[in-house]
Amino acid sequence: MSMTTWVLLAVGLLVIFWAVGAYNRLVRLKNAIANAFGQIDVQLKRRYDLIPNLVEVARQYLAHESQTLEAVIAARNQAQKAEQAAAGNPLSAGALGALAGAEQLLGGAMGRLFAVAEAYPDLKADQTMRELSEELASTENRIGFARQAYNDHVLEFNDAAAQFPTLIVARLFNFVPQAMLASTTSDAERAPVKVSF
Amino acid sequence: MLIFESQREARTRTRQLLLAFALTVALLVLAVNGALALAWGLSWGFWSPVGGGLPRHFYAVNTGLTLVFVLGGWWLETARLAGGGVRLAEQMGARELRPTGDFDEQRFGNIVHEMAIAAGLKPPRAMVLARESAINAFATGWDADDAVIAVTRGALDHLSREELQGLVAHEFSHIREGDTRLNMRLIGMVFGLEMIYRFGQRIWDPDVRDRTSAAALLGLAIMAAGWLGWVAGHALQAAVSRQREYLADARAVQWTRSKDGLGGVLRKVLGARAHGETDRAIGSPLQHLLLVSTEGGSVAHWLDSHPTLEQRIRRIYGRPMGPLPLARGDAPAPPRTGSDTAAAAPGGWTLS
Repeated sequence: MSMTTWVLLAVGLLVIFWAVGAYNRLVRLKNAIANAFGQIDVQLKRRYDLIPNLVEVARQYLAHESQTLEAVIAARNQAQKAEQAAAGNPLSAGALGALAGAEQLLGGAMGRLFAVAEAYPDLKADQTMRELSEELASTENRIGFARQAYNDHVLEFNDAAAQFPTLIVARLFNFVPQAMLASTTSDAERAPVKVSF
Repeated sequence: MLIFESQREARTRTRQLLLAFALTVALLVLAVNGALALAWGLSWGFWSPVGGGLPRHFYAVNTGLTLVFVLGGWWLETARLAGGGVRLAEQMGARELRPTGDFDEQRFGNIVHEMAIAAGLKPPRAMVLARESAINAFATGWDADDAVIAVTRGALDHLSREELQGLVAHEFSHIREGDTRLNMRLIGMVFGLEMIYRFGQRIWDPDVRDRTSAAALLGLAIMAAGWLGWVAGHALQAAVSRQREYLADARAVQWTRSKDGLGGVLRKVLGARAHGETDRAIGSPLQHLLLVSTEGGSVAHWLDSHPTLEQRIRRIYGRPMGPLPLARGDAPAPPRTGSDTAAAAPGGWTLS
């Protein structure tokens, strides 16, 4: 074989090696996103488990506020459904959007519950209520930090998939950019964290 | 990616530290030999009519003994630390967290889990120094699996949730950047370097019946030479830990996204000290582990293991801020029996 053939062969091999490497890197980054969502998911589940307990304790003191309590339970069930749908398909933008909306509603309902609770000093002094509120506040924070980590992974993946020359591999194998999760600093979402018992 | 970078950096720093330690030991050997030769001459040699030469093998014995003391102390202390972060924390008086029934400890345990997510690390073991009423904390351990974060009872009592979060984030930075591992090595070295000084002090000090032994002058000479080791130990601590404190402060602000968290902690410590509340002294080989040092400022500024509180507060806020009172902004503190804090025995922590 002539020199030119050898050179072409070598260049072709190099390109293939690079493409395989780039593909693997994209897959790894995408899996990291799914894993990061798993971290959020664990904390969301924890929150859905805590909320009914909290409502039960509050019910003893807030007999006249059953509407607020029911609203919290309804929002919690709604959010749990959205979470289950998103957990089944963590990289789908639609499921994540629905989850974000349901979470927003739940945050609002919880905020109203805590606002109402302000008027009941007995409830605030309740030992179980204090402990549950602390657990809930901590879970909110963990969700916030896990969401931050999720967004970091999304950013890394999107950057990698949008940069030349990895862009070519991303286009060929249909790696689409992922959506970031909404900011944690919206008022409705942060409300439960701010309240202290 | 970042974490590998900081680990590589930590390895480089470990090599530099070992080199500095070796140099210091060599200097210490020279100093001990010189001081002892002088003391021997003053005590016996110069007056002796037979022309006071030094005893045979004088330098060999001195050198050997110095090395035995320094390296032996280093080796013993390091072997003792092989038990890991939990053992060291227990020696400092920390106990495991008891989250059930105590709201403050439950909250602290939760915050450690939160910051573990923020720092991208495995949650370390959370411990409490239950008999310590000043605000302080430390992190220790050979690696992430062995890591411990301990806070004092005072920190749990006086800090709000946000402040405690800042404090825990600061300690997490020490774990993540490999500072805790380096600090574990440093403890053994500082201990070894202080050995000679303590040995000299032992000879120099009058005994129980207030008699000064004939060898007292030798003791003084050993102390003088050993003082070099003491200074070197503190200089090593200062060199290793001072810059890391700024980094950990910056990380705490980055992870908690709040200046008032850690800033509030430091200002409260400042406030408590302004009111004349003194911390109990903590063994000097351990100074560099703490959130805020309990000694320093007395010898020389460049020997301090930590920057001053004012400097750290200024870096966090970008301008000087005053001290804060020890009031907790949040929860109405539950009535505490106070048996924990009241039982605190007087006297310092010692590590022996």
